[in-house]
Amino acid sequence: MQKVNAGPSSAAPAQSLTARQRKTRRMWRHLRENHPFLVMVFPAVLIVFLFNYLPIYGVLIAFQDFMPGDQIIGPNTIWIGFYNFTRFFTDVQFWPLMKNTFLLCIIGFVIGFPLPIIISLMLNAMKSRRAAKVLQTIFNGPHFISLVVLVGMLNLFFGRYGLVNNIAASLGAERVSYSLEASAFRPMYILSSNWQDFGWSAIIYIAALSNVDPGQHEAAILDGATRFQRVIHVDLPAIMPMVSVMLIMSIGGLMGVGYEKALLMQSDGNLGVSELIATYVYKQGLTGVPNQGYATAIGLFNSIINVVLLIIANTTSKKFSENSLW
Amino acid sequence: MASLTLKDITKVYPNTEAKKKKKKKKDAPEDPHKEKVNLQITDEGVVAVQKFNLEIADREFIVLVGPSGCGKSTTLRMVAGLEEISSGELYIGDRLVNEVAPKDRDIAMVFQSYALYPHMTVYENMAFSLKLRKLPKEEIDKKVREAAEILDITQYLDRKPKALSGGQRQRVAIGRAIVRQPQVLLMDEPLSNLDAKLRNQMRAEIIKLRQKIDTTFIYVTHDQTEAMTLGDRIVIMRDGFIQQIGTPQEVFNHPYNLFVAGFIGMPQMNFFPNCKLLLENGKYSVEVLGKKIPLCEAQQKALTAKGQKPCSVTMGIRPVHMTIDQGDFTGVIDVSEMMGSELHLHLSVGGTDIVAIVPTVGLDVAAHSIGKTVRFTFRPDLMHLFDTESELNLL
Repeated sequence: MQKVNAGPSSAAPAQSLTARQRKTRRMWRHLRENHPFLVMVFPAVLIVFLFNYLPIYGVLIAFQDFMPGDQIIGPNTIWIGFYNFTRFFTDVQFWPLMKNTFLLCIIGFVIGFPLPIIISLMLNAMKSRRAAKVLQTIFNGPHFISLVVLVGMLNLFFGRYGLVNNIAASLGAERVSYSLEASAFRPMYILSSNWQDFGWSAIIYIAALSNVDPGQHEAAILDGATRFQRVIHVDLPAIMPMVSVMLIMSIGGLMGVGYEKALLMQSDGNLGVSELIATYVYKQGLTGVPNQGYATAIGLFNSIINVVLLIIANTTSKKFSENSLW
Repeated sequence: MASLTLKDITKVYPNTEAKKKKKKKKDAPEDPHKEKVNLQITDEGVVAVQKFNLEIADREFIVLVGPSGCGKSTTLRMVAGLEEISSGELYIGDRLVNEVAPKDRDIAMVFQSYALYPHMTVYENMAFSLKLRKLPKEEIDKKVREAAEILDITQYLDRKPKALSGGQRQRVAIGRAIVRQPQVLLMDEPLSNLDAKLRNQMRAEIIKLRQKIDTTFIYVTHDQTEAMTLGDRIVIMRDGFIQQIGTPQEVFNHPYNLFVAGFIGMPQMNFFPNCKLLLENGKYSVEVLGKKIPLCEAQQKALTAKGQKPCSVTMGIRPVHMTIDQGDFTGVIDVSEMMGSELHLHLSVGGTDIVAIVPTVGLDVAAHSIGKTVRFTFRPDLMHLFDTESELNLL
């Protein structure tokens, strides 16, 4: 006869446990069962904690009159409230910095965001798989060029005696030093960034496209869809969840443009458009007489804008589509 | 609706390393005794379908059936235009369509994976092909609703595919195909993703659907039950070759060769290898497990007409044609499966495993348990004889 019930002897102790004890027991069992995975995830958690969460403590200096060498929290700490923030808002540089950063980011986003999507759709629609792979490799190449080398290349190509000017001069045009031209800064910055990253950014979409059921394409062929219609009605909807996530993340980091490239491309001639929040933070915090409290306040303000944008983008996406980060 | 003609259709997937292999072959001395194991792998590449000839009548329901890799889906895809035809001619009606684009062949296809557009509602999925053909909105609406009515999916028209069950999705896939009223409706293992119960239900739905729409069906499956129940005619394939074309009754009662005999029928036909076809005094008989069984009059006639000489044969008998508890043969019960109305007895007979189906009415089930020895016999007029060498049915 098969035993069907463990009987009251084993059930009774379980019943006598409190809810809290049961929860603890469950947690320990969970830890015991999943410990290999927890061990694997531990380094990632540690790195995120050390480099992303621990430094948040440093934002306190945005509210202090802080000088290098001072303790963040100590007996001599001078708390000044929101003074650094109001100082930035009333700074003569505030609106130019906001405008420069915003324009550079928004134009870069408008051009740079759809480019990898278009490239991935084009590569996926190519008949020759081999040609698509070769092109993809070529497109990925620029990603591995360092920023310093890239800006060096820009100077070589667009410098007064660079390739572009040589060609223009041979056609009878005047030589222009593009690196000194304020009007050339944004196009050069944005186009070179996109040239460097469009192939790399396309990888994620290409991966998403590889999961599209070939049957859907075949069904569309039988339905009479052209190649372009298949891209629009089969491929594009298939990567839309990924596009939504990337869009939210891009908007969340919209104002988070780095200082390195702008600083490398900066010259007296283009300073009016190349001075960004990031470069200003760098200069305030690390050059001349460092004003780290002020620089931190500007950086924190920039981060808050990004967080607000991220929340708006995520909420909007959640409302109008089924995709969101949380 | 239209008739179809497939003339010498062959599909070869070119071998990218053909040159390399050819060179190797040239270098290596040829072994004349070496048997070619796989007929589908040649110097040109992999031959998926070989010299496929078939005439399909208008409004006929043809089922292509065979094991995995036999070329049935490839054949269907060639008809659809999704695969290029390596050689041969394909006619839909009187029109040669080898070079005609899939959308211009006036065919529709139902896929195993449903292949529904996930971002579109059921209505949009069904209307998609009509929209691409730029039909007026009112006409699209009418056709979609008519098709939905036929398939009883009107209540799901506003839903997206992910909100539907497997069976409902398959109905939508069929709806998307029939909404265009195609001349030929192709179905590539449409029920394979469904569970057994739903599959039976959908099979009945397809039979009903056939009564409602006037079109020619080509249906691919590896399930011989589907083939038997749905098809007007069945095309049994193996290794890219057609093994037999016939009505379900024909292929069941008169299998052309050993493969068809084994493939069609559930449980499959019992085979007794190493039997002898004897000819004594102008009368044929067969020696099975050391016992001589005289053949019936019809079988005698068939063999005499062929001038069949005595030879080694494999005797085949279907499990339903066996009778237990009588006769000269004995077997030990290995497994006894109670199916309710019948008992499936797996017997071990002189090293050969066979199955006998016995009705349970009036049967002493306890007397037919594992390990028991039972006597059995079969009707000689229902047995099949296959030439051991050619594997062809001699009767």
